[in-house]
Amino acid sequence: MAIRPLAFPQVHAPAATGVWSWITTVDHKRIGILYGTTAFGFFLLGGIEALLIRLQLARPGGTVVSAETFNALFTMHGTTMIFLAVMPLNAALFNYMIPLMIGARDVAFPRLNALSYWIFLGGGLLLNASWLAGTPPDAGWFGYANLTSRQFSPSASVDFWMLSLQVLGASSMIAAVNFIVTILNLRAPGMSLMRMPLFVWMTLVVQFLIVLAFPPVTVGLIFLTFDRFFGTHFYDVGAGGDLHLWQHLFWIFGHPEVYILILPAFGIVSEVLPTFARKPLFGAPIMIYSGALIGFFGFGVWSHHMFAAGMGPVADAAFSIATMIIAIPTGVKIFNWLATLWGGTIRATTALHFAVGLIGLFTIGGLSGIMHASPPVDLQQTDSYFVVAHLHYVLIGGSLSGLFAGAYYWWPKITGRLLDERLGRCQFWLLFVAFNVTFFPQHYLGAVGMPRRIYTYPDGPWSFWNLVSTLGAFGIAAAILLFIVIALRSLRGGAPAPADPWDGRTLEWRTSSPPPPHNFDAIPPIYGRDTYWREKHGPRRAPLAPPTEEHAIHLPAPSHWPVVTALGVGVAAAGALLHVAVIVAGALVTLWGAFSFALEHHRNPAHAHQAGGLGVDHRKLGMWTFIGSECLFFGTLIATYIAYKGRSVTGPHPHEVLNIPITTASTFDLLMSSLLMVLALAAVQRGDRFQSRLWLGGTALFGLIFLGFQAYEFTHFVREGLTLQQNLFGSTFFVLTGFHGGHVSLGVLWLLALLILDLRGRLGAEDAIKVEAAGLYWHFVDVVWIVIFTLIYLVP
Amino acid sequence: MTPSPRHGLRVTLAGFAVVLGGCAWDTPQSSLVARSDVAQAILDIYGLITWVTIGIALVVFSVLAWVLVRYPDRPGAPLPRQTRGHSLLEIGWTIAPGLVLLVIAIPTIQVIFRTQGEAPRGALEVVVRGWQWWWEFRYPSLGLVTANELHLPAGRPVVLRLEGPDVIHSFWVPQLGGKRDVVPGRINHIALTPDAPGEYLGQCAEFCGASHANMRVRVFVDTPPAFERWVAAQKAPPAEPTGAAADGKAVFTRSACVGCHTIRGVSAGTLGPDLTHFGSRQTLGAGLLPATVENITAWLRHPAALKPGVKMPDLGLGEPDARALATYLASLK
Repeated sequence: MAIRPLAFPQVHAPAATGVWSWITTVDHKRIGILYGTTAFGFFLLGGIEALLIRLQLARPGGTVVSAETFNALFTMHGTTMIFLAVMPLNAALFNYMIPLMIGARDVAFPRLNALSYWIFLGGGLLLNASWLAGTPPDAGWFGYANLTSRQFSPSASVDFWMLSLQVLGASSMIAAVNFIVTILNLRAPGMSLMRMPLFVWMTLVVQFLIVLAFPPVTVGLIFLTFDRFFGTHFYDVGAGGDLHLWQHLFWIFGHPEVYILILPAFGIVSEVLPTFARKPLFGAPIMIYSGALIGFFGFGVWSHHMFAAGMGPVADAAFSIATMIIAIPTGVKIFNWLATLWGGTIRATTALHFAVGLIGLFTIGGLSGIMHASPPVDLQQTDSYFVVAHLHYVLIGGSLSGLFAGAYYWWPKITGRLLDERLGRCQFWLLFVAFNVTFFPQHYLGAVGMPRRIYTYPDGPWSFWNLVSTLGAFGIAAAILLFIVIALRSLRGGAPAPADPWDGRTLEWRTSSPPPPHNFDAIPPIYGRDTYWREKHGPRRAPLAPPTEEHAIHLPAPSHWPVVTALGVGVAAAGALLHVAVIVAGALVTLWGAFSFALEHHRNPAHAHQAGGLGVDHRKLGMWTFIGSECLFFGTLIATYIAYKGRSVTGPHPHEVLNIPITTASTFDLLMSSLLMVLALAAVQRGDRFQSRLWLGGTALFGLIFLGFQAYEFTHFVREGLTLQQNLFGSTFFVLTGFHGGHVSLGVLWLLALLILDLRGRLGAEDAIKVEAAGLYWHFVDVVWIVIFTLIYLVP
Repeated sequence: MTPSPRHGLRVTLAGFAVVLGGCAWDTPQSSLVARSDVAQAILDIYGLITWVTIGIALVVFSVLAWVLVRYPDRPGAPLPRQTRGHSLLEIGWTIAPGLVLLVIAIPTIQVIFRTQGEAPRGALEVVVRGWQWWWEFRYPSLGLVTANELHLPAGRPVVLRLEGPDVIHSFWVPQLGGKRDVVPGRINHIALTPDAPGEYLGQCAEFCGASHANMRVRVFVDTPPAFERWVAAQKAPPAEPTGAAADGKAVFTRSACVGCHTIRGVSAGTLGPDLTHFGSRQTLGAGLLPATVENITAWLRHPAALKPGVKMPDLGLGEPDARALATYLASLK
């Protein structure tokens, strides 16, 4: 357990006490704690909603709540548990543990990390404000169109739901970009990708899933927002819309989301089992590949949620096979975990109990999943209580067990105190038994025909097991309360935790509990998987010498701009429910926050060089990641345009209004702006002030000219009778080209900001990376336009 | 009195009886009882996959239990061998699940194509329309319209064409086969041949708003002669009411009822269920309550009190009018 004594390094750390220090913190550990406590609060709220659901269903013809309230309860329970509990609880562990496990001092973008948290908090509060407004969302967490349309859901309920989901999606997206860059760029020297701990790997896979899976549902929600607020026809059957569009967009997101929820738990188990079996993870490379494959295949199986929708036998067969294939890497994980335990010396700690619990319960959930991978069987099981049982075996038996394993495992590291292991094991058994009592009978209820989402049922064969299930749910509640007691007892008077209480294998155990603000006095070098364990037990007992620090450790200064920007986002979203002036106010605050955010550390020498392990600047890598998600965003918009082509029931039709010569001119203009962008970057890199100003200004001007063409085109179309509301062509055309125009506008603002910096003499050759990031974005937006121009204007 | 072992045994047996009694599989809405060709094909593969998955579960749980019992930490135990993997084993347990999946996948594909084929010629066509929150059944070849209770002849192929006039619903009668969504703007179909006369329960399986729970359906599979008799009775015009029922008819014709409901020869509304032979149905409000005069009266007075969100407005009928109207409706055999 010897941590080599080191000369005390010089650390520039901010003072850290008081409420303001928490609001302005950019320390990944504190943000992790903020995520954890907030998400646990939402978890309790979602649990209370679940208890009310079970109380209503305890007896046939229940009268605890009304039908409308029941529908709101299951909608909010699902939305809360997924977006406000399990995802942010995972985020809490990502935040706290990832930098420690890869030997970093913080994440790549500490202030963006704070921004993610505050936006998440805003989204969670906005969603739950719907209870206070008396219009909680009640169309299901999956919000199938057209039940969500104004016609069938006239109140603000669905508005609260779709707006807060967009806000939460933005938070997840920002965090995902941040963690991808962190993991790829900030690994300790010697930590190659294949030497990364499994939890870090699964986190990386999850971030890619978020970046690629959220854009389709973001677009789906944009369509819904336009339908509800501006009278477009995306989900309007009468105008030629197709209700399966929403289902596809939702499940292209929704199925990867399942892996977003479960893979972190797989990562935790893959850390906990080796530690307590005192053996390396069996077949670590294949565990990595299988996790990545699960994520990859996760994008190809979404339509297994739609077997009852009537897609036809060929699609059913294809998605059935794809779904079954996912079982293979999942099975490999379970076998490798068993092999990790095999031949070990297993210490039955609470964390190990939960990890083993996950293997058992997830196996049940996974196998019932194989059952409904078969479409004929699924036609009997889907939307019945069998699926409710299945998904809770995956999400409680899987995700929550994993989170508890992680909580018991890392609690000493985070708080510096040990948890009561004896009470912890009681909590495990209470939760384990109560969980099975609650959910195992639901397999039976579904098999004998009880559908999901019903607020009442007649007396008969379902009555007895519903009562049992309700009793079990209160057992689960008791287990959660017991966890709170255990946690509070530990915080009040738990035994102090040593740095390495479990004889751990990964880097987080190499530093004190809790770690100092700078995490490590010296960044430890890595020479293989489980380096720290080998230092303690292996033949190479002496740790490698750490690289010498050339300068004092720089820690990011606290900043209040993340919370200001997030406030603007929250106000703008809430404004959609109040008044357009509130939206404008929120947008202005967001812009003000974002600009101040961007300029806060401009020219701070400590921020000048951010090249990382891949040799690429963080900001550039982050921009590439963002562009990856933007590809999916525009891809979805364009795909929708093509799918809806020719489905308008009224005119005008594309060939009647599209003016190809004029658009060719504007396309040429936009292409030329890319050339100017290249010249601008080259000028900035050379330090040629005159040319950099000329070309930056020129790029922005060409962007403005393009926007001018677009404004002319739009007004011309409106005069021809083509509006957003006119027909499906109008809806798809204006939303697609409008969002592209919005991107161009943001780009112009960005270029003008750079130009102003330049005019003030604050954009030198050392700032070229900022122009390069803006240029990447600009070129991407231009490329998107070429695709749009080709597919919409040129293809007949 | 101390509990004797015999007493304990009896309690245990009673406990098992309760558990098993609570686990009857042959219940009216059970998906584990097949009463059509489609349901039987599904049930066969359902059974196969269930046994395969139980087999896998037993293997995993046995190994897990063995490992936990065999390898606990003991004080002073030396470090275990630091095995990092075993390529052959790992390749083995990658291929093995693939082979097991083939056992499931091949019959799955066969059943998909067998159960989703076009209906044979001569199949009885029924248009099923899912409304918030009731079912409409139209028999185009017979010229019949009814609601919430579907009659089908045993042994004859049937094709249900599913149409959605408002939001998405899902038609599910487990003993006759799997569910299929009713999607506005699309026409889905279910082709099946019911094979045993009987009464089968089902209900909407896609969440569709406030009264999703109150959107039940009853299917009566009749012997061919009984089905012919039912068709003849449904085709006949409703009998002219007498006594209290005649008063009820007067209430019906002067109220808002006529705007939404059809009673052949009396009214022609299309937004609510066809009531021409309402009295021949066993339940009211899509399986909500038995169609007794008492229940119908209560329904007519305050429909939303019985069925949350119901589209039928409160007509403001007094008790006598409501009772007369209920008597009339019940007389429409």
